[in-house]
Amino acid sequence: MDKVRNELLQGTLDLLILKALSIDSLHGWDISKRIAIVSNDRLSLKQGSLYPALHRLEGRGWIDAEWGVSDAGRSAKFYRITRKGRKELETEKEHWLSFASAVESVLKMKELS
Amino acid sequence: MRSEPDGRSEPDGPGERFRWLRTKCRRLFRRRKEEAALNAELQFHLDHLIAHYRDEGMSEREARFAAQREFGAATAAYREEIRDTWRPPQLADLWRSLRFAVRSLARSPGFTVLAIITLGFGIGGNTMMFSAFNTLVLKPLPYADSARLDRIDRVTPQNPEGLISPADFLDLQREMNGYGEIAAYAPWDATLSEPGQPAEMASAIRTTANLFSTLRIQPQLGRDFRPGEDRPGNDRVVLISQLCWQKRFGASTDVIGRTIRVDGEPHEIVGVLPAILNDWRHLGWIDLFRPLALDQQKSADRHSTILRLIGRRSEKISRAEADGFIANFGARLATDFPEVNAASTWRTVPLNDTVQGATGHSMMMMLIGLSGFVLLIACSNLANLLLARTMARAREFAVRSALGASRMQLLRPLIVESLLLALAGGACAILVAQWGADYLSMRSTGDNGESVALDFDWHVFSWAFGASLITALAFGLAPALFALRLNLNDTLKSGGRGATGGRGHRRFRQVLIVGQFAVAMVLLSGAALFIRGLDELNHRRAGWQSEHLVTGTVVLPAAVYSDADRITAFHRLTVERLESLPSVASASISSVTPFFNWPDSRKYLVEGRELPKAGYEPAAVVNAITPRYFETVGTRVLAGRTFSDRDTEKTPKVFIINQAMATGLFAYENPIGRRLAQAGSPNLEWGEIVGVAADVKSVLPDPGPVTFQLYQPMAQEPRPYNEIAVRTAGVAPSTVVDRIREVMTGLDPDLPVRKLQPADATVERANYQVAVLRDILTSFALLGLGLASLGIYGVIARTMAQRTSEFAIRFALGACIRDITRIVLTSGVKLALIGSALGLFGALGVSRLLAFGYPGMQLNSPPVLIGTTLLLIAVALVACWLPARRAAHINPIEALRAE
Repeated sequence: MDKVRNELLQGTLDLLILKALSIDSLHGWDISKRIAIVSNDRLSLKQGSLYPALHRLEGRGWIDAEWGVSDAGRSAKFYRITRKGRKELETEKEHWLSFASAVESVLKMKELS
Repeated sequence: MRSEPDGRSEPDGPGERFRWLRTKCRRLFRRRKEEAALNAELQFHLDHLIAHYRDEGMSEREARFAAQREFGAATAAYREEIRDTWRPPQLADLWRSLRFAVRSLARSPGFTVLAIITLGFGIGGNTMMFSAFNTLVLKPLPYADSARLDRIDRVTPQNPEGLISPADFLDLQREMNGYGEIAAYAPWDATLSEPGQPAEMASAIRTTANLFSTLRIQPQLGRDFRPGEDRPGNDRVVLISQLCWQKRFGASTDVIGRTIRVDGEPHEIVGVLPAILNDWRHLGWIDLFRPLALDQQKSADRHSTILRLIGRRSEKISRAEADGFIANFGARLATDFPEVNAASTWRTVPLNDTVQGATGHSMMMMLIGLSGFVLLIACSNLANLLLARTMARAREFAVRSALGASRMQLLRPLIVESLLLALAGGACAILVAQWGADYLSMRSTGDNGESVALDFDWHVFSWAFGASLITALAFGLAPALFALRLNLNDTLKSGGRGATGGRGHRRFRQVLIVGQFAVAMVLLSGAALFIRGLDELNHRRAGWQSEHLVTGTVVLPAAVYSDADRITAFHRLTVERLESLPSVASASISSVTPFFNWPDSRKYLVEGRELPKAGYEPAAVVNAITPRYFETVGTRVLAGRTFSDRDTEKTPKVFIINQAMATGLFAYENPIGRRLAQAGSPNLEWGEIVGVAADVKSVLPDPGPVTFQLYQPMAQEPRPYNEIAVRTAGVAPSTVVDRIREVMTGLDPDLPVRKLQPADATVERANYQVAVLRDILTSFALLGLGLASLGIYGVIARTMAQRTSEFAIRFALGACIRDITRIVLTSGVKLALIGSALGLFGALGVSRLLAFGYPGMQLNSPPVLIGTTLLLIAVALVACWLPARRAAHINPIEALRAE
């Protein structure tokens, strides 16, 4: 399978970050790696592009940041989801899934004769 | 992967909110720390990326290079984006717009400076007027709880603010249970003389002992009057004003207890009053306060109305109740003593309202309105400038809007720009207003140094900035909306030619110019009419002649000039000595000057006529004069004779009446030989009318109609209050002033002569408040004219620049310079003409308003209106001539090639 560098649809980056953080608190590098791994490298983020998103989400109060120590023993900024963010994730997930299934059913539409 | 997160790691409700707020605050205020954290975070990512490439088998150097390529270049943009997320979104946009606006204003400094100065003067003038209004009208007098202070007036047909007689005041004081406190005072000029110092006239009042406690004022040094000190015999004490203390006593503290000679008698200074009493609005002109010691005879006097009454209502009664009580008291006096009080009623006026009369108030409103006109001109100039600027950027807007910029995004920079201009203009305006207010209070300082400081409190500042904001929004938005209505296609297609502006906004700018000229016309003609009126006022000499005339005031102290004989002897000697001076034609002494209002009003009966109802006798103002008075002041005697040295206290009484009185009382009969007597006394003393003099009209702006004027010989009723008049024989009056003073000092070294100067100077000084008004109007008019001419110049110049290629083609087709000049000139002058014509209506309105405030002024003058119109058109011609010259010198080949 070709390595497809999917351009992310507008707004999906926030969703991906929230989802990744809903499982564990992570620093920026790990978030991008996690997304790449889980999506089988089909979704890979441009280096650094997630930082503006992270700061924006933090500003909205959906995620929260704290300085901690990374696995390699360096100090790193860890993000974790907040209660507000979790709610947001739920609604956004609903939206996305219903949108995706709608698009899918259109694409799988059989020619009406 | 865990499908459910453990709840532990999540922050909780209130704490979470708190943390979130903290994040915001940190981002706003601890910028440097945030930057450092961001750097660390990005560096962390970069290091991981390098490590990642190294793991994939790259050399250290290659990995670093690849990571930089992947991450480094992009981060600058991300950083900016991240910083944006730190600011609240509106703030971020605002910040960007602000920086953009500052940059774009800085790029055209000429426009920016012009706009700020235009606004500064426009708003500044307005703010100055508001600060005057704020201080003079809105602010209460500086007395504690001044809302409960009332002035008590006795309203008579002659005087709506009439004074009150001592007997009436004493009655009121006896009956005023429950009213509160009532104080009375009477103006009573005093002579101050101290050994080794020249005698000086001090403006003084005599007052009841409770005046200062009624006003709630404490002396700053020494003590107040004691309750018994306003009784005769006890009254050798004075309080002095702060200004007098500084001027005469060098503000030394040992002044308390010092003895000074007031009217020739020793008095002890017991206190110095605080500076707030020097407020221009109320008692500021008083130097000296003495107790009102009414003797037996004065206490019973119901005829001489000399007292001004001020009452402080007790907290228990309302203003309406107090007014009712006073009105009742007045009504009772009218029935008890009809011969003096039949035609009078009593009322109270809040003391704060007495500061500005009704006319003062309407003048203020008019001035604020006129300054609003100046502001309007400034604003339309600004709108024109902004519009031109916006039009020049029309392509930029079209491109931006084609690229998908929203309406708001297009508008925002324009709005922010005009807001910035407004704020800068507002700051500039406060400087202008401060300067203007200083000038105003300097010019309105009275003869005794009493002045009013125009305060700049937050009312004024908020007025200035409010005006700026409204201006900016109203006049910044109009051009912006025009920019929005631009047709995208046309603008882009019109290529390098720039926008000539469609029909719509050319019309809009023409309307602005027409409006400017209309408003300028109103301002200019209003000012011109007023200046002419004031000029006329200063030169109005109805019934007397001022050239070669010197006047001065002398008050004879009762202690030295105790009886009629001494006063008469002084009068004789003074006139004799003055007339013996070289280059003096004649001299006289009178109880009033011809040029101001005559205060002494008396009632008269005509012999052989039925007695009118008590209190309704005809009243005349009285002037007691020495024999050559008419000759000296230049009043013509129309019939009969003047008084002579043979009219003395021993000969029968004689009168001279003015023409108004002669026709009013005797119509077509000959008044000479008829007899009059003063009404009110039990045994009437008849006096014969021996002459008729011309009517004399006051030079003050509100003189009222000419009333009955009556002259009597000074010798038949010697007065201590003397106006000296000296007519020179052809030499300039100022040259004899010193010699007159020498003569007076020679007669009595303790006797000061006040305001000894040419009559013309006295008249001009008397009208100084009107002159201040003239200055204000003039500056408004000049400002308006300047701004309007700047406006028309700008618009015509721009239009000409846009029509360059048209003119070039006209030239190429054979037009000559004269044709082009004519096109340019007519296009400008047409606008000026329409504007001036519209302004004429407004001008008529303003002159009506002025005439209402100053009924004594001649404020209707068609020549002035015509002159103003011509001036405006001339200014428009000059303003258009410069662009016309430029248009006439277009080189057609170059102009067309430049296309």
